[in-house]
Amino acid sequence: MNTRERHGASVFGNVLEADADMRLPALVPPPAFPIETLVPDVLKQTPAVGQRVPRSDTRLHALGQTRYIEDLTFPHMLHARIKRAGIAAARIKRIDTREAERMPGVVAVLTGGEIPVNSFGPSLQDQPVLAHERVFHRGDGVAAVAAISEQIAADALKRIQVEYEPLPAVFDPLDALAPDAPLVHPPHGNVYASRTLRKGDVERGFAAAYRIFEARYRTQMVEHVSIEPHAAIAEWDANGRLTIWSTLGRITLGRADLSRTLNLPLNRIRVIGSVVGGNFGGKNEITQEPVLALLSKKTGRPVKGVFTRTEEFTATTVRHPFIMDYKTGVSREGRILAREVRLTLDGGAYCSWTETTLGKACILSAGPYKIDNVHVEARAVYTNKTVSGAMRGFGAPQVCFAYESQMDDMARALRMDPLEIRLLNAFDEGSASPTGQVLQSVVVKETLRAAAERFGWNERST
Amino acid sequence: MKRRGRGIACMWYPIGFTVAANASAATVKVNEDGTATVLTGTVETGQGALTVLGQIAAEELGIATDDVHIVSGDTDATPMDTGAIASRTTYVTGNAVRLAAANAKAVLFEVAGKKLGVSPTELEARDRKIQVKGYPQRSVAIGEVAYEAQVVAGRPAIGSASWNPPTVPLDPETSQGKPFSTYVYATQIAEVDVDDETGEVEVLRVIAAHDCGTPVNPMLVEGQVEGGIAMGVGFALQEEIVFDGAGRQLNASLTNYIVPTSLDMPDIEVDIVESYDPTGPFGAKGVGEPTSVPTAAAILNAIYDAVGVRLTTLPATAERVLMAIKQNGSRIASGTSVL
Repeated sequence: MNTRERHGASVFGNVLEADADMRLPALVPPPAFPIETLVPDVLKQTPAVGQRVPRSDTRLHALGQTRYIEDLTFPHMLHARIKRAGIAAARIKRIDTREAERMPGVVAVLTGGEIPVNSFGPSLQDQPVLAHERVFHRGDGVAAVAAISEQIAADALKRIQVEYEPLPAVFDPLDALAPDAPLVHPPHGNVYASRTLRKGDVERGFAAAYRIFEARYRTQMVEHVSIEPHAAIAEWDANGRLTIWSTLGRITLGRADLSRTLNLPLNRIRVIGSVVGGNFGGKNEITQEPVLALLSKKTGRPVKGVFTRTEEFTATTVRHPFIMDYKTGVSREGRILAREVRLTLDGGAYCSWTETTLGKACILSAGPYKIDNVHVEARAVYTNKTVSGAMRGFGAPQVCFAYESQMDDMARALRMDPLEIRLLNAFDEGSASPTGQVLQSVVVKETLRAAAERFGWNERST
Repeated sequence: MKRRGRGIACMWYPIGFTVAANASAATVKVNEDGTATVLTGTVETGQGALTVLGQIAAEELGIATDDVHIVSGDTDATPMDTGAIASRTTYVTGNAVRLAAANAKAVLFEVAGKKLGVSPTELEARDRKIQVKGYPQRSVAIGEVAYEAQVVAGRPAIGSASWNPPTVPLDPETSQGKPFSTYVYATQIAEVDVDDETGEVEVLRVIAAHDCGTPVNPMLVEGQVEGGIAMGVGFALQEEIVFDGAGRQLNASLTNYIVPTSLDMPDIEVDIVESYDPTGPFGAKGVGEPTSVPTAAAILNAIYDAVGVRLTTLPATAERVLMAIKQNGSRIASGTSVL
């Protein structure tokens, strides 16, 4: 029977039919489906916006037919692994790759000195592709191997000898602010980004306040933990044209970074963004792509690299740990009169997406509230730790934890309901934000009321 | 014994970048049978963005979502895109796709206008037809128009466009300005049980009321909210990279770095709060990142409500909660309550 005819008119009927089609039979048939069943035949008419349309990639995912980088293989393809420094701060005195190069199955070895422009980064280019003169954190790559199997490449890393001269390191962002702290990137200071936000006059607000609340909040370093690790395949062909299949979430920027690091015109680089098994901000910039490209150039063969789970933790970006000092003055009725915020971001070894994180955290830190007097000082500090970068929310989960914790403390001290104090202070349509922006399509109060009603907030006496 | 508590947290979150251009470009090609192909430089990172972009193109062209095929993620074949970042795909790339589709549609309207004997401004595209506004019976199939445009008129219906959110640079001293074009808002309420003998916290349910402007695909909005809450639960209670004194990570594996599993997940109820942003495609804003923003704050406020301890350091592991309960107990016993 024709699949199109089986589908009824109702949306739910169609969805259920589609589900039935997708269930795997006990015996897996050969993967040859009539074209009609590949796309669930629902919602043939406009409007299209507002419909619960099944995702276009659902069927391939459910049948296990989606091809991630790990599923791709090319003739004569090699496998790359990167040797990690394993020391937090050091000068590299010598890298000896001779023993690794002699191993059967090893086809090429690469070190930082062979990278045309060995630096990258979205705002500050402070990150080497492979550390060459200096190591800034333990996860820095110092050499790479391309071999006929991943196992041989991993074994070869152990035969690469690196001689280090250890340097003083700093791990706590507050320690890194001390005048005599070791410099992570000398001659530059450890504070590498800052932003000030001022609106009104906080001192006048505090002077008029009925109560002032002060607290320090801290958040931790976390990983994105995407199911799929960072993965890429590079192929440098005989015309000198580079094709990279990659898990990158930003291929336009990725191509520009490759052009810079490889010193190659943009039109000779093709970046193909693969289907990605999770990003959450962790795949917003290049990692191993230039290394794989140069290994492919050296060997004349495609080269694949897939990070281990340990590399996901130690050699890719993580969420910025925050130290947040909040001082808030409120009136007797619970209105916020002034809020002063000081944010210190632990940036780890490189800038990465810190400026965006710092900017969003600074602007959002007072919360979705009408406050006439706001003063925020935010700064980011280098430490010899894993690189803090983009992660879902860009600093917002950190500051939300702080401002919303303090809202509840204030509510309890003023004997107000937590819902009531929020409704009293929340933005309205046309409210001015801490940057003085007049806000449109503002529904924070509607979300408060909707959540409270669905939860049954008022059913308990407080 | 287990003590129950509830906590509320609301938030605001911007769509797009901080005062930096973050444009998207798109091309929409209407094929000669009335189906369409969209070229975009964004990539699918699992959030369903390509499905949403297809819906936006379909809406603008008056065809079905299934009629639209998306080509994405190839720097040789697709126009630039700032990428799947900053909750910007629906809003920024969506606007580019909508404008590109409108440009392609303008070609169709010119051809159809001659066929129907009306000016192109009197036409609308709906249900795979181009019809005269107010007179839907005076219509012609979109495939027929697309075929004629390409094969008879020699003007294939192809449109390209780009869009960048309007912002105003921030003052370097005070940060006054318009850093983002628009924001979304949300509230989450968490209900928890805290075992006051072990410090263990169980999140029972989370009510999540989120604004995303027009929900282009409510099912995908719900998916984003559920995923965001999973990350929020881990941030609140479990996840932390721990270092030794030499800058070495001590738990760089999923054996010792604990992420929430399905067993840790609360019951989640999603409420999509209605709003319409005139600057978004069909009123849409975005929803990706904000879903994980208020979760930890709501859970920590629920712990405070349940056992009266305020943890100011994340994550609220059982050890930290138990220690705080014990300290609080001794303070209450000595007559100096923390409240």
